[in-house]
Amino acid sequence: MSDLDRAIAQLRACRPIPEAEVRELCHKARELLIEEGNVVTVNAPVTICGDIHGQFHDLMELFRVGGDVPDTNYLFMGDFVDRGFYSLESFLLLLCLKVRYPDRMTLIRGNHESRQITTVYGFYDECLRKYGSANVWRYCCDVFDYLALGAIVLGASNTLDTPKSGPLAAAPGEKIEVEVRNADRQIISRFLRKPPNNGHNGNVNGMSATTTGVSSSESANGPPTNTGPPGSGASGSSGGSVGNPAGAVLCVHGGLSPLIDMVDKIRLLDRKQEVPHEGAMCDLLWSDPDEIDGWGLSPRGAGFLFGADIVKVFNHRNDLSLIARAHQLVMEGFKEMFDASIVTVWSAPNYCYRCGNVAAILELTEDDSGLGVLSRSNGEVGRSDGGMGDRQRGVLMDTDPLGYGEGPARRYRVFQAAPQDSRGMPAKKPVADYFL
Amino acid sequence: MSAPSIPNLLSLRGGATGRGRGRGRGPSAGPGSASAPTSSGRHDATIQGTDNDAAVSRTSAVELGYLSDPFAAAFSDSRGQRRLPIINRGTYTRTTAIDILVNHFLSSTDSSKPRQIVSLGAGTDTRSCRVFTSPENHSNISYHEIDFPTIISRKKQTILSHPLPSRVLSPTQSDDTSESISTTFHHRSVPGNTLTLHALDLRDLTPSHSPLLSLSPSYPTLLLSECCLCYLPLPSNHSLLSFFSSFSSLGLVIYEPILPNDAFGKMMVSNLAARGITMPTLSAYPTPTDQEKRLHEIPGGGLKEARSKTIDQIWEGWVSDDEKERVNSLEGGLDEVEEWRLLAGHYIVAWGWRGEGWDLDVDGGRLKPPSGPGTPTR
Repeated sequence: MSDLDRAIAQLRACRPIPEAEVRELCHKARELLIEEGNVVTVNAPVTICGDIHGQFHDLMELFRVGGDVPDTNYLFMGDFVDRGFYSLESFLLLLCLKVRYPDRMTLIRGNHESRQITTVYGFYDECLRKYGSANVWRYCCDVFDYLALGAIVLGASNTLDTPKSGPLAAAPGEKIEVEVRNADRQIISRFLRKPPNNGHNGNVNGMSATTTGVSSSESANGPPTNTGPPGSGASGSSGGSVGNPAGAVLCVHGGLSPLIDMVDKIRLLDRKQEVPHEGAMCDLLWSDPDEIDGWGLSPRGAGFLFGADIVKVFNHRNDLSLIARAHQLVMEGFKEMFDASIVTVWSAPNYCYRCGNVAAILELTEDDSGLGVLSRSNGEVGRSDGGMGDRQRGVLMDTDPLGYGEGPARRYRVFQAAPQDSRGMPAKKPVADYFL
Repeated sequence: MSAPSIPNLLSLRGGATGRGRGRGRGPSAGPGSASAPTSSGRHDATIQGTDNDAAVSRTSAVELGYLSDPFAAAFSDSRGQRRLPIINRGTYTRTTAIDILVNHFLSSTDSSKPRQIVSLGAGTDTRSCRVFTSPENHSNISYHEIDFPTIISRKKQTILSHPLPSRVLSPTQSDDTSESISTTFHHRSVPGNTLTLHALDLRDLTPSHSPLLSLSPSYPTLLLSECCLCYLPLPSNHSLLSFFSSFSSLGLVIYEPILPNDAFGKMMVSNLAARGITMPTLSAYPTPTDQEKRLHEIPGGGLKEARSKTIDQIWEGWVSDDEKERVNSLEGGLDEVEEWRLLAGHYIVAWGWRGEGWDLDVDGGRLKPPSGPGTPTR
């Protein structure tokens, strides 16, 4: 695929590829995406990214901080285009990487991957400016219609690896639940796993404990309550996460929908269309979590607001330990809410060249048994040692053999906007609009 | 008005170029007003250029239906440059807020006696024409605009030559001599209403200008600074405002950015600096409290009452639900609410007043139908 590699190289230099190549690329991408379900299954390790919004130079910075493709697996949660001045290059590069490394790149749809929104917020104008016609915009929009609506991440570890010694080593018995690092890989902060909740007495055999990529939610034909002990998903008065033992992570651009109580219902949607103005598909791409009870009207005029109770019930019912979503600017790059049952990841630093925010990506590491969280919750403690002699973990597993209350461990890498003239790429200093 | 060469000058300094929506105004811009290569001349040209920025935003908001302003197209040739919805909503909110305050001033002062409105750095602003043609039929308004000579002469030309403003305003023969810095127009249908344009660098405004400005300290007077005082050095701010210290019945409405010290504010300061724009008031009056204190402590005579609201608060509190729905429907609503709160939270309308028999106490917002916020000028 030397043509593809050449296109990747050209796009990496922030130079658009010819219209004919875009057409061919979009055609290939569609063939690939059409085979994907509405909810893609992804295995850890994976790095989850939020909105990009055409900030190409910052996307390059993201790859620098998070590791290059294909060395790092990426899951982008939509909003590749609009607002920034390089929507075209950003989206086409991601699409090229998807076609080149289909198993290492996951792209799901954001609310900006829409014909209507892109005509208002810049991508359409940009295509017109760079190609003189709307053809490329049309090709891209056709791809948008085929993007998955969500992803399920399986096999994420519930603790982060630490060096055996040195300043970054964890103390004996400590499990790192959350770690925040800066762009230079230095640790900004660490949060230890809270002691497990008492009283769990799980029927772990009720879970689909496999490593073949079949999540419990995928195989949940029976009543959902058989996948975990009642209440394990909603006992969240502690500061730690209260996820279900399955440890699956749902990734979606916006959030939940009152029309979707099971992940399987997402799978039943007909996604191959323009984003509708209402309904389940619209909600998944437009909704926001908020400090409310139940559902609320969204100030965006599309989708809904949903509260902690909604998230906890949904996660419990679907054996999810975490929902990762994007869609909302957060000044710190990421924001965990509702006892870490949902997190917003925002990957466009200094959004619109104006907001002054930092960006973040979320790394979920692979459970180092190689068999995933699911097998560990079978109580096969010895396997997780994997001959590594990791006594600490063995001890912890003994005291907490089911891993209850353990969502995936999260490593956030926080980064700032790249200098616009960095790395020899063409860049014009963008002008941010103010009221003057 | 803006000088055509501003973007180039800035790019020479390694700052922003003219790229992006709505920058630059095409080949028809005025003659070499930016010819002075000195740094202060360049700064003046940059500041004058901000009026073009505002004009583009105004025209965009009008063309998309946010605002009803038939005069916008007459005073600016920036048609067809669409702003993003967040900017259009901000332009709408700021204009609506000041319209509400101006309307309140005109409604609460005695309409049988002269009232003065003085718009500082008015540029291509259309408010005078909109006030004269508003359904409230305000009378006895002596409306004054002060701005750089290049801007004033262009505006004068527009009023004389463009069919729409010239249908509203007629020139007064007597004082339209070439030596005078002031030109007065009469409102054709309400003779008591006049618009006087003063070609004057605001930094040079001293008490000796009083006769030239034909302003009377005894009339209720409303000063408007819609992104004007923020560009002036603080000493000029003080001397300009102290010019009005002898006005016993004075209101002041200020619209400008605030909060320079958080992440958004720091980026704003640096982005504006890249365009050659500095705002001394940002650091001098960084918070709403500082802004209100500023009104209380105007040199030579502070205002008794002071209020302030951010643009975000004005959108929430002063714009009715129906009107919000109408505005949101124009471009399908905002895609980003957080960004709006951030941007709109960094702009403030601060206002204050002193004097008997009238007030600017419009905290409640929604005033006096039929001129609700949505149709301020229809």
